[in-house]
Amino acid sequence: MPRPPSTTAPAARLGERALAWAFLLPSLAVFAVFLGYPLYRTFYLSAHANDLFGAPSRYVGLRHYTDLLGSAEFGRTLATTALFVLLTVVPGVIGALLLVLLLESRIRGVRVLRSAFALPFAFSVASAAVVFGVFYNPATGVLNGLLSHLGSGPVPWLTDRHHALLSVALATIWLNLGYNVLVLSAGIGSIAPEITEAARLDGASGWRLARSVTVPLLGPHLFFLVVVSTINALQSFGQINILTQGGPDGATRTLVYSVYEKAFAYGSSDFGAASAQAVVLLVVVLACTAVQFGLVERRVHYS
Amino acid sequence: MRKLLVATVVAGLALTACSSSGSAGSAGSGGGGSAAAPGAQALQDAKGVTTVTFWHSMTGQNAAVLNSLIAAFNQAHQGKIEVTALFQGTYDDAIAKYKAAVQQKATPSLMQVYDIGTRFMIDSQQTIPTQAFADKDGYSLADLEPGIRNYYTAGGKLVSMPFNSSMPLLYLNADAFKAAGLDPSRPPRTLAELADDARKLTVKNASGQTTQYGFGAAIYGWFVEELLAESGTLYCDQGNGRDGKAGKVVYDDAQGAQVLQWWADLVKGGYAVDLGPVTADAQAAFKSGRIAMNLESTGVLGAYTQAAKFSVAAAPYPKIDASDPGGPAIGGASLWIDGPGHSAAEQRAAWEFVKFLSDPAQQATWHAGTGYFPVNSKALAEPADQAWVAKNPQFRTAIDELNATRPSAANAGCLLGVMPQARKGVETALEQTISGSKSAQQALADAAKAIQPAIDSYNSSVG
Repeated sequence: MPRPPSTTAPAARLGERALAWAFLLPSLAVFAVFLGYPLYRTFYLSAHANDLFGAPSRYVGLRHYTDLLGSAEFGRTLATTALFVLLTVVPGVIGALLLVLLLESRIRGVRVLRSAFALPFAFSVASAAVVFGVFYNPATGVLNGLLSHLGSGPVPWLTDRHHALLSVALATIWLNLGYNVLVLSAGIGSIAPEITEAARLDGASGWRLARSVTVPLLGPHLFFLVVVSTINALQSFGQINILTQGGPDGATRTLVYSVYEKAFAYGSSDFGAASAQAVVLLVVVLACTAVQFGLVERRVHYS
Repeated sequence: MRKLLVATVVAGLALTACSSSGSAGSAGSGGGGSAAAPGAQALQDAKGVTTVTFWHSMTGQNAAVLNSLIAAFNQAHQGKIEVTALFQGTYDDAIAKYKAAVQQKATPSLMQVYDIGTRFMIDSQQTIPTQAFADKDGYSLADLEPGIRNYYTAGGKLVSMPFNSSMPLLYLNADAFKAAGLDPSRPPRTLAELADDARKLTVKNASGQTTQYGFGAAIYGWFVEELLAESGTLYCDQGNGRDGKAGKVVYDDAQGAQVLQWWADLVKGGYAVDLGPVTADAQAAFKSGRIAMNLESTGVLGAYTQAAKFSVAAAPYPKIDASDPGGPAIGGASLWIDGPGHSAAEQRAAWEFVKFLSDPAQQATWHAGTGYFPVNSKALAEPADQAWVAKNPQFRTAIDELNATRPSAANAGCLLGVMPQARKGVETALEQTISGSKSAQQALADAAKAIQPAIDSYNSSVG
């Protein structure tokens, strides 16, 4: 929108501009202190070695980054991270979508169900992970107990390297489900009733209505969820720390967990290497988000 | 996006919190053995109340007993010394915070550090050796239990005062033993015997599902360390880091591989269940009766006897071979008095408190209240302690086990700056052996290779 021609004197305009900056100042200050400086500090640390106590000791340039390039373990960490994102985002968003579409049917008690499905949102990662830990326990777990009643052998949910990531992903999907259902429910609620009504008059219902009308109109919400879930998955920490501690044999060591291990776990205080990995994480998150906005958003229909 | 920002901020703050100008470490006045302790006069001359800040990692019942001991000490030294206890999370968390505190020159007067943090604490040069105080005062350390004193002695000097000491035990479900036709008073003594019993103790139901496993323990490197210690095998070079600074780990030997292979075979055969790295999960499995034999610390004996619906027996920790000398290393934690940045009066006050905690009476209270082994041999002669042991005969096992131990370099335990990471390496190797992705020998060799850069980097930063 073009600015209306200003009728004020240049001095007054200057005052206005100063006022604008004054209003912006608090948020800029907060931004600089809590975002700008830590970011700068992360880059700074990533270029330094550490002394015994984790303080930066000497400049090493890009050595921490080149170490990462040559590390097979780090390659595995990146692959695990990518797999974890796929395993949580795709089923998490599709599952929530199916649930929300089913909740559209006019059955009794649908409001109760809707609240029930949104409930995981109220759980903290830590408490939910502890509960899942009880489910997954190899000897006393609820899930293996159920399997045994069904006459099936126990599953090493968290103790086998082929199962562990899947099990952690399952807990993560459950954790995210509430939020996803909440967002998509709000999305459906915001679809103009005339549109669905018109489609119904044209004879569309059920699957056809969902596929051709509801889902396309949910596009912005679905896109939002994919972006947010991806970032969430890239930063998942609590459930991994509580359920598997990155194991067994590194099978659930994602990028964030690797940063934590380098910086804080097992008496390690290798803040240089940890910061370098944190920078890689930042780049990965930025790249994922940029790709999603660049490629996917074009197909999203904003009504 | 907001979460990303928040996470970045948190991570950034955490990182900045741990950085500051200057290297505090080198400023300290020696700690590994050279630092001098102030005399008693310093505290006598101090005016008013001298405050001792005490960082610890005790929780639950253990914290309650500790706080009652602190209250008793403060009561006895009213107007002169006030000990303020501050819980700092797990031992790992506490070390991470301590590192930040060193940089900010805000260390506590007294710090509880786990056994495997000993080398780091020596190298930090932030503390005054307990030996220095004892020598200054002519205070006898002879009553300290020799095996425990052995662990916290480096360069012939006691570097810290042991406080809570634990030992590994083999816990048995005595009822399951009897049901399997085994005698719980004749527990397995070697890994081979344990494997035999585990086979007999594994019970399946009509549909072929295992309802009781013979054996199970957490994937916890300490259990492997203890088996190696008992077999007289070193964990790291330089006589387990006791003769000089350890430069590499040597756990990738025949004994190490034998232990890992033994464990993996039991799991593969279906006689043991892989319980993962979380000790609480493994403890739950034993308490519920799902596993008949379990490796754990003396520190869980109280919890086991209380929670289990079966009769719990405690047996000596098994040996790899019958001919092994035996005698496990002593785990637990010790107390470190900080020097730099603390007044002579404060250092003396901390020493008074440390002496108080290691006295027989307090150690007896601590023993009975927590299950930790008393660090003072005379505590076992205290009437309160004897009454407690009489009531809990399972605890006899740990006392006998320790009495039979002949201190050696192997069961002194490995002093290594990056010991927690070395332990993690063994745990990963054990997981790899169980999953079959590597042979035991290969997994241990790879773990030893993987830890080497961390050892080199640590040793070069210590100089």
